[in-house]
Amino acid sequence: MPVVTLYFNRIAKLLGRKVSREKIISTLPFLGLDIEEETSDHINVEYSPNRPDFSTDYGIATSLQGLLGTKLGMPQLKIKKGTHAIKADASVAKVRPYIIAIEALDGKMDDETIRQIITMQEDLHNGIGRKRKKVSIGIHDLNKIKFPLVYKTVERTYKFIPLNSQDEMAISEILDKTETGLAYKHLLEESKKVPVIVDSAGNTISFPPIINSKLTEVTSASRNLLVEVTATDKNAAEDALAVVSYTMQNAGFKLSSVRILGPRNSTPSLASRKILLDPVLVNNTLGLDVSTSVMVKSLRKSRLNATAKGKQILCLIPRYRTDIFGSIDLVEEVALGYGIQNLEPTIPQAKSAGQKNRVTVSLEAARSTMIGLGYSEVMNFGLAGKHTLYDLTKRDSSDIISVSDSKSQEHQILRDTLLPGLVDVLSRNIHESYPQKIFEIGTAFYRDNLVGEEIHLACASAHNDVNYTEIKSILQSFLKSGFDIVSAAKISSNPLFTQGRTADIVVNGKNVGIVGEIAREVLDNFKLRIPVSGFELNLTDLMF
Amino acid sequence: MSQVLHPIEQKILKSLLEKQNLTPEELCEKTQLSIDQVRRGIEWLKFKDLVQVNESEKNFVTLGKRGNEALQKGLPERQLVNYLKLLPTSSCEINEAKDQLKNEFSPAIANAKKSSWIEIYENRVMLKGYHDTTSEEKIIKLIASKSPTAVSLDVIEDKEALDLLKKRPEFLNFTSTKYTTVNITEKGIEVSQNAPSEATDSSVRRAIDVEAPAPVVFAAKSHPLTDVIDEVREIFVSLGFSELVGNSTQSSFWNFDALFIPQDHPAREMQDTFYLKDISAKSVATPNQIKQVSMAHKNGWHYDWNLDAAKKMALRTHTTCVTIRALADQQYDDARLFSIGRVFRNEKVSYKHLVEFNQVEGVVVGKNVTLRDLMGLQMEFYRKMGIKKAKFWPTFFPYTEPSLQSMIYNERLGKWVELFGMGIFRPEVTKPLGIKNPVLAWGGGIERIAMLRYGLDDVRELYNNKLGWLRSVPKCQ
Repeated sequence: MPVVTLYFNRIAKLLGRKVSREKIISTLPFLGLDIEEETSDHINVEYSPNRPDFSTDYGIATSLQGLLGTKLGMPQLKIKKGTHAIKADASVAKVRPYIIAIEALDGKMDDETIRQIITMQEDLHNGIGRKRKKVSIGIHDLNKIKFPLVYKTVERTYKFIPLNSQDEMAISEILDKTETGLAYKHLLEESKKVPVIVDSAGNTISFPPIINSKLTEVTSASRNLLVEVTATDKNAAEDALAVVSYTMQNAGFKLSSVRILGPRNSTPSLASRKILLDPVLVNNTLGLDVSTSVMVKSLRKSRLNATAKGKQILCLIPRYRTDIFGSIDLVEEVALGYGIQNLEPTIPQAKSAGQKNRVTVSLEAARSTMIGLGYSEVMNFGLAGKHTLYDLTKRDSSDIISVSDSKSQEHQILRDTLLPGLVDVLSRNIHESYPQKIFEIGTAFYRDNLVGEEIHLACASAHNDVNYTEIKSILQSFLKSGFDIVSAAKISSNPLFTQGRTADIVVNGKNVGIVGEIAREVLDNFKLRIPVSGFELNLTDLMF
Repeated sequence: MSQVLHPIEQKILKSLLEKQNLTPEELCEKTQLSIDQVRRGIEWLKFKDLVQVNESEKNFVTLGKRGNEALQKGLPERQLVNYLKLLPTSSCEINEAKDQLKNEFSPAIANAKKSSWIEIYENRVMLKGYHDTTSEEKIIKLIASKSPTAVSLDVIEDKEALDLLKKRPEFLNFTSTKYTTVNITEKGIEVSQNAPSEATDSSVRRAIDVEAPAPVVFAAKSHPLTDVIDEVREIFVSLGFSELVGNSTQSSFWNFDALFIPQDHPAREMQDTFYLKDISAKSVATPNQIKQVSMAHKNGWHYDWNLDAAKKMALRTHTTCVTIRALADQQYDDARLFSIGRVFRNEKVSYKHLVEFNQVEGVVVGKNVTLRDLMGLQMEFYRKMGIKKAKFWPTFFPYTEPSLQSMIYNERLGKWVELFGMGIFRPEVTKPLGIKNPVLAWGGGIERIAMLRYGLDDVRELYNNKLGWLRSVPKCQ
């Protein structure tokens, strides 16, 4: 989850009044923010990406004001109608169809403000922007730009000076040689031509979604900014622009609109939305019995506008609250404004008795039978490594079921058998006293049409005198005292077991498992010096 | 009743009554027991305070390189005397002596002079008289006689001569050895005198030391994590919940789409979710379920929902896929259901993350169920788990609204830790699947509870299968 740094002195300024550090820290979690780190002058908080407005301290302060009661209702976005325009050429339709923008004027940015804005930009790229695929944002020094701008496509031989470079570079060079080029070039793979924004003086100002130009680089001396958003999804572009606009306004800039022309494109309105909320839904969902006016007050504490309208509540939701889909989200806003801590838990009575699943009941019985026979339970993962399952046990791996792109070698394959895992456990406990008698009950996977799952019991005994007879007698006793089943053993062979010391377990003519002495070579592979015998049974076959 | 001693103990005590301060090796000799028996006996007796065991150090000496030479050729001064003795004048020029004795010349002259065996006059060395054997020579002989065994320094009585020899470089090598001596205690003397004699009649069971420790055996047990899972399950059942079981492998449809998680959501990417290589579900749900779910995505998230993406088979990332499917298929109006099982996340394994862990999830379906009920059920669950302090904070889950996370106070760590998450299923989840009543859902990882229960700081320990740990966790606490 993304992290925001909150400096206490900045927060105090943004809140517009003195609030104790303790109060801030104890209130933040009630906005759904997790405090990650606390130092003398700042804290780091984690926020959920569904609240992109929390990507700066400005957005968090806005919500804090509501919960602290210092400012209520929806913050107003003031956008002056501007004169500048961007024209989207028809050619961008195939690669990145949408562009919108806004100007932020007469502002001043210190280093921390710039840092907050850059973090916001990154978080928006990763969240709403889906790693720039859907949306990317460019922020420019407005004074370097000659309007009108054109958003169009160019060949990959096209050249300009990108950010962090002194020299002109061709598009193809930027994609193959710069860090951001390499990271995001896949986004332009499907198109021969790529999008750029060019001003009326012929200067390139941006190559979305990759990099801005050197020309329009923002510094702490920049007073006027242009924020452009390009996207493959118009709605997502407006989501991002709304968050940026509120942030810029909070940072002291005056906003001015930029007219957008061109097919499929239009000037964004960033208007707030209206939703009618039924107070009955609020009380029914939260388990409250509060009046409409209490709900209105709570919504206003959540920085929304709300007014009673007949039996309903008319809510006004600022454009940056992209997480609000409908009424149920407003119910949560009421809960937050009302205070989660003010909701008294109630214990509803159950109408009927609960019960365990019959599978669980059977497996519990199987487990206690094994414990009665003197075996202790161990636990391995169902997602295992090929090395243990196949290489060390010399088993045929042609039918393995593997997962894609596992981050760990030890978790790549769905196990089809449990016994190798037990041998592995024994190999990691050679310093413990013997005898070692262990079992595991767990899911094994096999290929059928898709993938089948069955529950296996595997059991292993390790000590100097262990042999086939001992483990077969445990197996027989398990089946007899657990299921009153008399099993037969039929000689078989398996690379895991010693030739002549292994048999299939047959119940009612059906093969349900295998028993035997683990082969010397397998034990050597696991660096085990002590003999081991074991069996594995398919419980699903036996029980269900 | 007087204490009964094992025959081994009796023999050791008997030897110690005769002579104190014996080493285990000496005790072997005296008792005719094996060294293992003696060592074991000493441990038992020590445990009972009947003997006292002292660790001390003994110093030993052997001849060094030049010591051995001196043994063959005599000390340097002896060589000088022997040389002079054979000369007609019993004297020689200093240079002649130098040639004869080479690098032993200096010590020879120095020592011979000190013992007044020679006189030097006008560059000549003259023999005055000599002793047949010096005390230093005696020590060399004594040490040589025991070779190759090192000689204890205690044996050498003439410490003065020893000190002189020590000063000669490379004459002596010193070593030290730690050794154990055993002494009988007051209590030992008393007990050994009162100990009953062994029964001679074979029909009578010999009295044994009933107070001695017996061999350790380990009770076969279920895994500690199983015990926690069972406990959680029992609590759910006691709260009126019935258990569902479902597969670990699930189509993306039930794991994600049915839960209103958009197809481009980061959680669905391969770096977070395990997809089965080359396996896709052929059919995932009823045509109507598919239609309704795809509409919910189109309306809510504004994108073209893709059926093939929903068919991708994944290892379930939560047990919610099992509950939502049961709710969709069974159309309960009123129910309490829960599911416990393994879930999978494609994460780097660390002290706080596993790729595979157990999760429990409970749902309550009912016409009048509320968020406060959900909080109450949670508190009741914690109360039954023995967790006294819990509180709630808002949080976000894609498929619930409102959503809460619970924090519980951990006495051992002295801080609040996050535990179960909960919420009410979004209408975008329930409506497309025809679920009419609100659904409360709550759950979380069981390993976290197990870590708190067993005081573990590293979640991996639960799956290390260290028999030492498994054997040591008390079953009945």
